[in-house]
Amino acid sequence: MDHEISTAKFAGIRTPFRQIMTAMQAVLIKDVRSELRTRYAINALILFAAGAVVAVSLGIGFFGLRRDADSLRIQAVLLWIALLFAALNGLSRSFVHEEETRTLASLRLAAPPLAVYLGKFWFNLALLLVLDTVTTLLFVMFVRVQVANIPLFVSLLAAGSLCLATATTILAAVIAKASFKNTLFAVLAFPLLAPTLIVAIEGTATALGGGSWSEGFSALRTLLAYAVATFVASLFLFRFVWEA
Amino acid sequence: MALRISQIAKLIIGVWIASVIVSMFLVLPQYEGLGNAGRIMIMHVPTAWVSVLAFAVSALYSGLYLRRGRSSDDDKALAAAESGFLFTLLATITGMIFSQVVWGVYWNWDPRQTSIFVLLLIYAALFALRAAIDDPDRRRQLSAVYSLFAFVTVPFLFFIAPRITDSTLHPNCVFIQGSTCEGIVLQEGNIGLLGDRKVQLLAIDRQGDTITAEVNVSEPGLRDEALLQPTFNLAAGERDIAPEFPGLRFRLVLEEVDLDAGRVRLNIEAPGTGLLDNQRTLITFIASNIGFTALFIWMFQIRATLLGAQWALERREGALP
Repeated sequence: MDHEISTAKFAGIRTPFRQIMTAMQAVLIKDVRSELRTRYAINALILFAAGAVVAVSLGIGFFGLRRDADSLRIQAVLLWIALLFAALNGLSRSFVHEEETRTLASLRLAAPPLAVYLGKFWFNLALLLVLDTVTTLLFVMFVRVQVANIPLFVSLLAAGSLCLATATTILAAVIAKASFKNTLFAVLAFPLLAPTLIVAIEGTATALGGGSWSEGFSALRTLLAYAVATFVASLFLFRFVWEA
Repeated sequence: MALRISQIAKLIIGVWIASVIVSMFLVLPQYEGLGNAGRIMIMHVPTAWVSVLAFAVSALYSGLYLRRGRSSDDDKALAAAESGFLFTLLATITGMIFSQVVWGVYWNWDPRQTSIFVLLLIYAALFALRAAIDDPDRRRQLSAVYSLFAFVTVPFLFFIAPRITDSTLHPNCVFIQGSTCEGIVLQEGNIGLLGDRKVQLLAIDRQGDTITAEVNVSEPGLRDEALLQPTFNLAAGERDIAPEFPGLRFRLVLEEVDLDAGRVRLNIEAPGTGLLDNQRTLITFIASNIGFTALFIWMFQIRATLLGAQWALERREGALP
């Protein structure tokens, strides 16, 4: 019980923890439902990723068969470019859609800010995991990338996506109120994501080449630390975005 | 009164920085090997310091704005960001000039270069965000959030950037007092890394009091290699010949020799080693730091006041509620 009260206080809101969780669930379910109706974000994400993979595959053929250090790194870079730009295309949807259909006000009445943030965050994370799965499968098929250490590769992808979700969810809320939304989203997100990209690309190259867990561990640890830091900062700052 | 103080401050800062520039070219001694390029340090280090300071000041006032909601805090945050952007550009450009003169490349994705580049991007993103929101209150609130959020991610950058290359050419141990280049200890046949060069100790030869280390130096990416032979004088107990790395002004130094164990300590030496040992250089360097910090504070104050006046004017004309 103590823990619950302190969580509510920590977010600067007097709503009990359990109520926030219920509201969060409701926001998440609402978003999933409206997404399944229009399938806008998922289409944007997956078609963009598919386009990127096919373009790569057309350009460099079966590049994934090459196993030297440089080639592995280039494969990792290509994979993350596809993921990053697909994510930057689709992830802002959650808040932009609310703004465009003018449903922000009712959402503001219906749920506390923290619940809205958490709901949107889980929704974005789920979208990213779908995107990861599709993009990786396409990469394996079209570019013939061979993943030597599959568990490490998968956990790096998951940790990288976690970072993408923690860093961009609050930015999506910020740009929803600005003009030139989608361009601005990429402009705002890229410098903040640069450190994670560096680490994720390096780690992914290691995983592709069959590096051990101990080699990939430092990358995983850094990604998780970044995710925690940006997540906590978002919890603090989201209230101000929501009020604005 | 405030106007008079500001005008006096402007005069003092102007004279101060002018004299720093004059002494940078006329009073400072010529550094060995570096030629005139080393003088840029007097401009480069203070601007880099101010760009970090400005970023922190901007984040501080952003936090204060969110806490207190005063528009003057946001003016200050913006003023700090704007002058910080200017200083970041200056630090980048002076660094690039030095890089071209000493290493032969303008850009190397050195950790420092990576972090300052991302810092420039963050500033640019902040201005883009401000330009894209029409409502002044909303603009202030959202840009304060972005500024603070970016501030959280920047430490990761400073921590992560050094991982891109295994080491840096940025001459910390040469220019920053108190820090030292450790060098590496190698046994015969061992391979190590100095700067971004792979070095392999092939052999240690002794002729009288002179010890010669045969060192194979490889360029990054193993594109090219060269055999260097730094020497050490046993009688004097100090290094003797320090050959230059191929294509660079940096030298390879044989610092210590342990003949029994077959071990030597190799180190990299930038052309300007011991730069700040010189009294005149040190004073100019400190004066330059003070001058640029004062310049930043002055620009920051003027810009913040101007922004405040601009808001007051718009409100009086009825453009704002």
